[in-house]
Amino acid sequence: MEAPLARYLEANLPAENVRVTNLFRIPGGASRETWMFDATWSGDGEEHSQAFVVRKDPPASLLETDREAEYGFYSAFWNSGVPVPRMRWLEPDASIIGGPFFIMDRILGCESNTRAPQAPPYLAVQPEMARNMYDILGIIANFEWRGTAIERVAEPPAAETAWEKELAHWEGIINVQELSPQPLMRAAIRWLRANPPPPAQRVGVVHGDYRVGNFLYREDGSIHGIVDWEMAHLGDPVEDLAWSLNESWQWAKDGRPGGIVDRETAITLWERASGLRADPAAVLWWEVFSHVKCQGIWITGARSFQEGRTNELILPMVAYSLINAQDQALLRTLGRIA
Amino acid sequence: MRPDTSRTLQGIAINLLTNVIAEVKTPFGQQTVGIAASLAMWIAEETERGADRLVVENGVTREILADGLALAGTARAAVEAAAATPAAPNFRISSLQSENDSLRRGLIALHAAVESNPSADAQSMNERIWAELIESTRRRQFQARIG
Repeated sequence: MEAPLARYLEANLPAENVRVTNLFRIPGGASRETWMFDATWSGDGEEHSQAFVVRKDPPASLLETDREAEYGFYSAFWNSGVPVPRMRWLEPDASIIGGPFFIMDRILGCESNTRAPQAPPYLAVQPEMARNMYDILGIIANFEWRGTAIERVAEPPAAETAWEKELAHWEGIINVQELSPQPLMRAAIRWLRANPPPPAQRVGVVHGDYRVGNFLYREDGSIHGIVDWEMAHLGDPVEDLAWSLNESWQWAKDGRPGGIVDRETAITLWERASGLRADPAAVLWWEVFSHVKCQGIWITGARSFQEGRTNELILPMVAYSLINAQDQALLRTLGRIA
Repeated sequence: MRPDTSRTLQGIAINLLTNVIAEVKTPFGQQTVGIAASLAMWIAEETERGADRLVVENGVTREILADGLALAGTARAAVEAAAATPAAPNFRISSLQSENDSLRRGLIALHAAVESNPSADAQSMNERIWAELIESTRRRQFQARIG
């Protein structure tokens, strides 16, 4: 992939003598392949170097998402109060490196591992990390998306029906992707329809996968990049808060969101940062929804693997480890099991 | 086959984690080996219990469908069709799973019907279905804890 990437950069920078080195794929990136590389080139009479990230569509994945929308959300937040990597190029041509892709600058000197906050040196800065996490989520919730790239790639729902749009979307995914019937998720969907949440206090940007693991942090607990915007959309900001509370990302297995903050503190931090109220009925509704959405993601990956469209082992691993666990988490949220 | 399939898969997982992973140079490759080992551990469990799990669950679900038929209301046809699912012709996992899928489609229809029916019988059936769904997650729970 080095040579085609070098040719691509040469044409798009523009530049001469482009050299691509240290190309490697990073673990994770279950929906898009994520590759890192360094590039050096000549241009304007000077030598340049830059670390880049490529997000490339795989043949099949956990989720079929809109690359252009992800790129649009990233671009809209560049140079805002929400730290994101700088977007460079969006390329729909699948023939260049074996799939459509986009390239962004790499943010250096950060950690993103989900387990690292459970050990030194990050353990001591969990409170700072949590505060930064929810401060940034508050900015996302209040971001003025009108007039930005987001307006081109996302349709705003009505405040009263933001929940309905998301639920219909994910129910549709489960309808298409399930390999076996999902009686618990069907019960959850019926519950969600029977108990709609209060209207959204504002229609704002929803990151869609906001949790520990999708931001880049440093040893002082500071956050330098919010990544993985592939499920971003416009909707009820409470959705992101509830998603961050989901049991699937309680990495310390101790009931604390992200393994870094207790639930009550997370909600208080979010309310303070966003200026919005975390109505308990709304939070509960979006938490139940988050289980349905998670299951939609897990079973999409399971089908991709089952049908032989990919041999990425992360997909059956997610299916084996998370589909039943998600059902159990739903039962806990509904108060059916302890 | 002896040694047992489950024990053999466990041995594969241990070898991947102790002998192979350290030889792999890239983080992505190491992650792939780690995932393969985790999967081998879970498949070891599922190989041993899978047929039993499905036979038990299919039996329980058939009983619920039979007992709930009178409460199915407008879902009666769907519940009846599910209850009439032929028993799997053999003990292959794929056959038992196919039977399970058909029965659980009927269970969903019955559940939706009884939860909106306020009668005491329907509510009792509703709770019985919830109890079975909780139990079904316990049947699927893996004992091997990885990661």
